[in-house]
Amino acid sequence: MFTSHSLRRGWQRCLAGVAALALAGSMAASPAQAATSPAPASDNVLRIATDGFIDSFNPFTSFYLVPTNTFRYMYENLVANDAKDGSITEGLATEWNTDSEGKVWTYTIRPDMKWSDGEPLTSKDVAWTYNQMMEKEEMAVANGSLVENFDKVETPDDGTVKITLKKPQANNPGQEIPVVPEHVWSKIDKPGEFKNDEKSVGSGPFQLESYEANKSITLKANPNFWRGKPKLDEIQYRYYTNSDAQVQAIRSGEVDFITGLSPDQFTALENADNVELNDGNGRRFNGISINPGVADAKGKEFGTGHEALKDKKVRQAIRAGIDTETLRKQVMQDYAQPATSFIPAVYPDWALKSDNSVISGFDVDRAKKLLDDAGWKEGSGGIREKDGEKLQLRFLTDADAPIEQSTAKFIKPWMKDIGIDLKNESSDVDTVSERTTKGDYDMYFSGWSINPDPDYQLSINTCGQRPDADGNGGTSQDGWCNKEFDKLYKAQHVELDKAKRQDLVQKALAIHYEEAPSVTLWYPNQLEAYRSDRFDNFTKQPSDGGAIANQVGYWGYSSVEPASEEEATGGGMGAGGWIGIAAAVIVVLGGGGWLLSRRKKSDDRE
Amino acid sequence: MSTPTHDPHSGDRPDRGTGTANPDPTNPATVDMDEPPAGGSFTRYFLRKLGGAATSMVLVIVLGFFAFRMLPGDPVLKIAKERPMSPAQIAELRSQYGLDKPVIVQFWDYLVGIVTGDLGESYVYRKSVSSLIGEYLGPTLLLTATAAVIAIVLGLWLGQISAWRRNSLFDKIASSTSLIFWSVPTFWLGLILLMIFGGTLQWLPTGGMITPGLDPWSPAGIIDVIKHLILPVISLVAVVYAQFLMIMRASLLEEMSEDYLTTARAKGLTEDEVRRRHAVPNALLPTVTVVFLHLGGLIAGAVTVEAVFSWPGLGKLTFEAIRGPDLPLLQGTFVVFSAIIIVMNLAADIVYRFLDPRVRRA
Repeated sequence: MFTSHSLRRGWQRCLAGVAALALAGSMAASPAQAATSPAPASDNVLRIATDGFIDSFNPFTSFYLVPTNTFRYMYENLVANDAKDGSITEGLATEWNTDSEGKVWTYTIRPDMKWSDGEPLTSKDVAWTYNQMMEKEEMAVANGSLVENFDKVETPDDGTVKITLKKPQANNPGQEIPVVPEHVWSKIDKPGEFKNDEKSVGSGPFQLESYEANKSITLKANPNFWRGKPKLDEIQYRYYTNSDAQVQAIRSGEVDFITGLSPDQFTALENADNVELNDGNGRRFNGISINPGVADAKGKEFGTGHEALKDKKVRQAIRAGIDTETLRKQVMQDYAQPATSFIPAVYPDWALKSDNSVISGFDVDRAKKLLDDAGWKEGSGGIREKDGEKLQLRFLTDADAPIEQSTAKFIKPWMKDIGIDLKNESSDVDTVSERTTKGDYDMYFSGWSINPDPDYQLSINTCGQRPDADGNGGTSQDGWCNKEFDKLYKAQHVELDKAKRQDLVQKALAIHYEEAPSVTLWYPNQLEAYRSDRFDNFTKQPSDGGAIANQVGYWGYSSVEPASEEEATGGGMGAGGWIGIAAAVIVVLGGGGWLLSRRKKSDDRE
Repeated sequence: MSTPTHDPHSGDRPDRGTGTANPDPTNPATVDMDEPPAGGSFTRYFLRKLGGAATSMVLVIVLGFFAFRMLPGDPVLKIAKERPMSPAQIAELRSQYGLDKPVIVQFWDYLVGIVTGDLGESYVYRKSVSSLIGEYLGPTLLLTATAAVIAIVLGLWLGQISAWRRNSLFDKIASSTSLIFWSVPTFWLGLILLMIFGGTLQWLPTGGMITPGLDPWSPAGIIDVIKHLILPVISLVAVVYAQFLMIMRASLLEEMSEDYLTTARAKGLTEDEVRRRHAVPNALLPTVTVVFLHLGGLIAGAVTVEAVFSWPGLGKLTFEAIRGPDLPLLQGTFVVFSAIIIVMNLAADIVYRFLDPRVRRA
């Protein structure tokens, strides 16, 4: 046998090691840089929960959602998209005009504008920004496609910007390109690598004050904003890794605004005190993309799509067999708008009108007839056959998306009703993405966010934009190609008369609908909540029933003001919290005490 | 959302190398008694263990590179998804990430990087992976070390009482409670705590490590960090302390049937003295080993807890890297996590030899 104290020494050494580790951990836990921002001086800080990915706040290189939304608040564009319906309105420019074909665009810059640091803002800043993107690849990472059609940008004087395009276009080229101050950016050694993550200089309503990765982003109101200083002092984004935690944070009053809730989370907040809900019409669509026989821009086919789907009658039958209204109400719990085509209803100027003669609803008999006409006759077990082959299709969905899984559950029996054997293949999102790139699918669940001008989304439905099987080349919504559609796309692209352009867009959307390379299911609402005891006067886009976050513009938070009747928010810790701390301390001390209390005795006589 | 859950049985047992049987730390009866009593035996044992650890590390390094490249999907296309991007922009991104080079060249760069301590640059953060890991290691250490100390102390303390009063009401309650906590998914438990104490009662913060704008070294800041720590630590402790309790209980029961305790009692020592001075120290031997093994495993639990409580640590960083997918960052966190677990295993083996005189033959 052996004595216990040698043992105990070893044990105590181990414990000391663990304690040292704990101590080291707490020492190391200090943030890499000392806290930069002092505690918010006033209560006038809008705290928003976020889980967004951030690489930098460099508007030339970052294209992630949170930075992009932040740029909209930091930098004014040449022209803005208004809150009412997203149509073009004043930005840096007070007026603009174009030559007769839409090739030369001339903008008049608002006089006496100032950057947030007080320096004058002129047409030179606009030209410098655009030229950087046109001349340097590393400065075109985020928005290069927006200046691809720019031939040259000139400034006849401080108040005028003249953009000459390579090819005419009807869509105003001054949108969505953040204009930066030349006097700041021209002095930066490698502007493509500049992080721009503290004390930004800009022209928008809020400027970036500080950023702590995965902790917080702080924006300060810009007193020189041309529309007037916002009523908020600060906006502070706080990091929450999961949306359930965000829901609890708005309940407890730790944050003032959250967005992107699921229908269940939204419903759960209905009875929460001081929480106002916003069920805002969004600018996204969800749909089922059907493989029409994908091919690259030169027409070389690839992928494993079912031959039957090359026949538009079969694709139309699939649409006729889907009860989109039931889906919208059951799967989306009514938190979505009925859909026609891929331009959402929040853009009434462009969305395909629901009374268009091409639109046909849910109709099982029609679906069956279409399949009969296409030569797919009912066979054994009710599944249709042609030349001995059964009509079996694969539906590819993201296994982690409950909405996609529910949709698949609804659609399977509906397809069986019309004689199609639908197999749900759910997989992780990366596999889905890889398979759709390779054309290795029959149908998949898709979705896009749409900007106020329909040109881009129309363009990715043209033949020339189809990528190859490796994803090289352009981008395509459904891998579909139609010469008539292409003609209409080109015609609307240069049509300066808005009424005529609307007509061309309607015709193009009608062709897409009739050809059915995809079935648009719904336009999902953006579900949001804010603390009405702290703030009100949020601006929605569209102003009638739209969303507050993720706008194309800076309207959402710029108008926000403190609620008139301020109530105290529960930020402190009640007695229970302290009891918890005390208990933890007692456990640690008590446990440690027990270990140390065993005094050394040396009367082992074994 | 796919975060790893804690699995107390996942690969954190000492390797059963060739040659002599290794001690099974959970069973004192299998202690390795075959070592020759020569002075060099410890060195040999040590070198063998070190060799095993080095082999594991090499495998991890190779696997870390190829496993993530076998993931479906192209990081650049994923980034470009739903965005108006010209082919030129996509090509520019590819070359920025070094993805335009042949895989074998990328692998060579990666190996050279590891040897020189350079884990490459994260795609997204545009910072060196080493500096990112350094930045996020602190909060993770704070969380896991605090939880480890509490779980060990609580587990060992309850475990020895349970064993000493086996089959008593205390034993039944303590054992079953710990097992219930051990069985619940970490994620679920964390969310429940978050809802009750954060959302409903509003006693404690719902996430993060510190209220933005506070200086972490000011008195208010320190209290704020402690407040933020409470719920994540409770979640982590709850799901791991059972294994410490159970191992302590089992090994103490083992000791309690030994003759030397009867001898000790015969010498007139009090029951308390017999327990504290004879039984518990011996029972601690296998326990210490297991404790070390599980310290590595705690990290996996921390990933989940960090995801629930928005704790800005390595778990969160890994989670972000997976979402990217940010290949260099994934590789880096994978290698670092694995290294920690391998080192912990090695330490467990060494400590065991060092602690147990029966093995040491000192």
